[in-house]
Amino acid sequence: MIGYVCKYTPLEMFESMGAEMVRIQPQAADQSRADALLHPNMCSFVKAALEDALTRDYEGIVLTTCCDSVRRLYDALKDQLPGRFIYILDVPRKVNEFSAGIFRDNIARMIRSYEDFSGKSFDQSSFLEIMKRRAAAASLSGAPRRDDRLRVGLAGVRCSQGIKNLLEDHGVQILFDMTCTGLKRRFPSFEGREGQEEPGRTLYDYAWDLLNQVPCMRMVKASGRQRYMEGFSDRLDGIICHTVKFCDMYAFEYNAIKESMDLPVLLVDTDLTAQSEGQIRTRIEAFLESLKTARRDKEGLAGAAGAVRNESGRPPRPAGGGGRAMYVLGVDSGSTSTNAVIMDGDRKIVAFDVIRTGAKSGDSARKALENVLEKAGIARSDLAGIVSTGYGRVSIPYADENVTEISCHGRGAHYFNPAVRTVLDIGGQDSKAISLNEKGDVVDFVMNDKCAAGTGRFLEAMARTLEIGVDQLGPVSMNWKENIEITSMCTVFAESEVISLIARNKEIADIAHGIHGAIAGKAFSLLKRVGLKDEFMMTGGVALNEGVVKAVEERVGSRLFICDQPEIVGAVGAALFALEKYAG
Amino acid sequence: MKTSAEHPAAARKLVDAGLTEELARMKLFPKKEMPSGMRKLNYWAMNKIRKALKDPASSCWTNIFAPVEILECFDLSCLSMEALSSFMSGFKIEDHLINGAESSGIAPTMCSYHKNFIGGVDAGIFPPVPFSVTTSLACDGNISTFRHVERKYGVKSYVIDIPYAFSRDAKGYVTGQLKDLIKALESRTGKKFDIDRLRQVIRRENLSRRYYGRYLDEVSHRYYPKTLTLEMFLLFATHLDIGTEDTLEIFRLLSRDVKKYPEMKGKRIFWDYLIPYYQPTLQEYFNYNEDFMIQAMDMNMDYMHQMDEAHPLEALAEKMIRNMFNGPYERRATHVAKLVRHFQPDGVISFCHWGCRQSSGGVNILREEMRRIGMPLLVLDGDAIDRRNSHDGQIKTRLEAFLEMIK
Repeated sequence: MIGYVCKYTPLEMFESMGAEMVRIQPQAADQSRADALLHPNMCSFVKAALEDALTRDYEGIVLTTCCDSVRRLYDALKDQLPGRFIYILDVPRKVNEFSAGIFRDNIARMIRSYEDFSGKSFDQSSFLEIMKRRAAAASLSGAPRRDDRLRVGLAGVRCSQGIKNLLEDHGVQILFDMTCTGLKRRFPSFEGREGQEEPGRTLYDYAWDLLNQVPCMRMVKASGRQRYMEGFSDRLDGIICHTVKFCDMYAFEYNAIKESMDLPVLLVDTDLTAQSEGQIRTRIEAFLESLKTARRDKEGLAGAAGAVRNESGRPPRPAGGGGRAMYVLGVDSGSTSTNAVIMDGDRKIVAFDVIRTGAKSGDSARKALENVLEKAGIARSDLAGIVSTGYGRVSIPYADENVTEISCHGRGAHYFNPAVRTVLDIGGQDSKAISLNEKGDVVDFVMNDKCAAGTGRFLEAMARTLEIGVDQLGPVSMNWKENIEITSMCTVFAESEVISLIARNKEIADIAHGIHGAIAGKAFSLLKRVGLKDEFMMTGGVALNEGVVKAVEERVGSRLFICDQPEIVGAVGAALFALEKYAG
Repeated sequence: MKTSAEHPAAARKLVDAGLTEELARMKLFPKKEMPSGMRKLNYWAMNKIRKALKDPASSCWTNIFAPVEILECFDLSCLSMEALSSFMSGFKIEDHLINGAESSGIAPTMCSYHKNFIGGVDAGIFPPVPFSVTTSLACDGNISTFRHVERKYGVKSYVIDIPYAFSRDAKGYVTGQLKDLIKALESRTGKKFDIDRLRQVIRRENLSRRYYGRYLDEVSHRYYPKTLTLEMFLLFATHLDIGTEDTLEIFRLLSRDVKKYPEMKGKRIFWDYLIPYYQPTLQEYFNYNEDFMIQAMDMNMDYMHQMDEAHPLEALAEKMIRNMFNGPYERRATHVAKLVRHFQPDGVISFCHWGCRQSSGGVNILREEMRRIGMPLLVLDGDAIDRRNSHDGQIKTRLEAFLEMIK
């Protein structure tokens, strides 16, 4: 078993020598060995691949000079796994006859090296047979069937099977996956090839076909990627651009797609650990919801507002019959608080409840349900439908449907003020900027990356360091005098920066003001990415902090609309979705 | 200046005023402790940037490893992306420009030099030039960054692809690309390329390197008062302007000047990779300090061979392929070990710059190599230009413990 990571790897040559080629698709919970052997600031894929290679019994690993991180992965593997076939193949970044010749020679050198290592020998005619068969098979595959499912394309880098499964679970058709090894290998030079082979020709043609695949971003000319995507533009609903933390090349692709293609595009940034799965799920589901809305608008079809079915698939209860009043419940299970809202058929809020999310989100959700039913003075059976949202939305057993907090905050913001076009929601562990159209549909959104910088957690950590309650931060900061800048955006660094400010006897008010400035900076850069469109609204518990609100207003240069209960906006949105779905 | 960065013309004026003022200050009130060789280097590097920024039409964007020798033959001023970003950091607006780039969707994990450069172009501080010439050597950020500014601002990007290992074909591949570049430059500038002029450039480059070698031999054991910034400024001479009369003069001066200085009695440190010139603790220990001195940094010695004047294009190709940063990290570690044996320092400090995978990812191999030759090594994490990514408390504790250790 030989592991590989890159589409420019000459798999077929190894296969013709009887080697089993396995694509390394690592997911490592613990990357501590890789952190030590490489460096913590290396691409997450490479770190996970190193963990994988050290754990599994590969005969060898064949890498290419595809990027800086992989080059260093090679160095580490070579050092750590003596006695295995660890090889790095140099792939030219330009495609022309000269570079194809060089690539052919590099491949030939590699094969000689594998012959020496394995004692096997390369046989040109069996290789040619394989190539002819592959070329024939590739030319047979037809275009995918057209149906009314959502159709997305995957761009970027190293999309995991988990993401593809998630999309398929939501009934999405993946039109193409052009991340790393996602596209089918094609060898046009070998199609319909007959007769005698000139010596040297076979390998040159193979090198040529490999180099002429849809390029990856490390190539000097990568315009082929965009051309490839544009070939699908009449069928695509949107593009998901996947990047790996510390792989910077594909953020450029995201940037280019966003600016030059007239299609919704979502950037998903992962570190290939299981921990990041929840965040990815929210982003992707919210994106699918906005695609469904766009599709519905385009086709003028009435239909589900993009609600995602609960995994139980339980059918919704019928609306309370017999002329009785109709109620729905929206519940937002966030990382910090769980909020529940009961709304009646006239879109009026009947009651709401906000409690702190404990260690088990399910327990808090149950508690919030009991409280809000009591406040409304109704029974559980009076609820025609329940929609959950927020981080814990999939673990609320009593919900009929779940919708992401992105769509819910959008819908909720529109409910409170229809003039709002840009929403900033700073939650416990996620902050997001959402752009809305005049109907309150989500047009675009961006979220913070995995780290807690600029979230409610960041504020909590800072308040703890200052030894004041998080709710005091706002009022305290209003008395600031000296302008202090907290420069570190990393929560851990910022914490030690705050400690050193305390050691220098700086006023708490000034430090708190500096902390709010740091949050506002991060929020501003999110808002800028969705476009700074008037009017602005801030939602979530952090909107109660007047210091943050003021700092954001200064950066944006405009007032933020804050409703009376900013933390229930998501739950209100969920209730509105429930109303749309279940109201008679 | 941060607010004025929203008004490009005003920001450009301020940058120019800042540079002009600094140049005047250097002339009128030269730093007494700064040796004359370094004074000349300092003035000339800053003046060069100022002139190039004022005349974008006859400038070209490059990266640190670009074949500037060819560009010099077309009378083009080379503005390296790294140098431009460093100057913005000198003006303390790097945070603003980097935030700008990040909010336009550039990955926050990317190298700060690149982010700062993109932010500076977006803010209009670096007026677009007709084209850029870069290489894929060492860093794969260049292809993305310059393709990005080409797409956004029409600055045509010429990239020289450098193969991973040296071979006759690899040299032929690079030479062919240099010939293509020359053709493109001829048609863009309307100037005819003169290979004899390139031979003269290479001759001066060889001579410069000989003088530089003499300077290095002396500076390894003398106390030559320097600053972190000056060590970084040396990159102008060793890379961005190598082969010019000015650079030759600077190296000649350095090689004579250094001999006037006494033997170093304090601790001598050899520096691996970039220096965060602004870092307060490092400044405190290494700027004009007789007790601790940075002898040299390996960035300024990444290629030290004499080049073949008779075949200048092939010589340039070879220079790039055989650069110490190319190929497996082991090459670099061996090269550093060789330099260390020559310089005989008391310790080595290796700096991991934020976002630089090609360098940080090999630090473990460097550690093993230094252990093998019995040389104390300190690895510092931080950022060469973005102050927010270097934590003073962390650097201070590590550095002081290391200096105590090698006492």
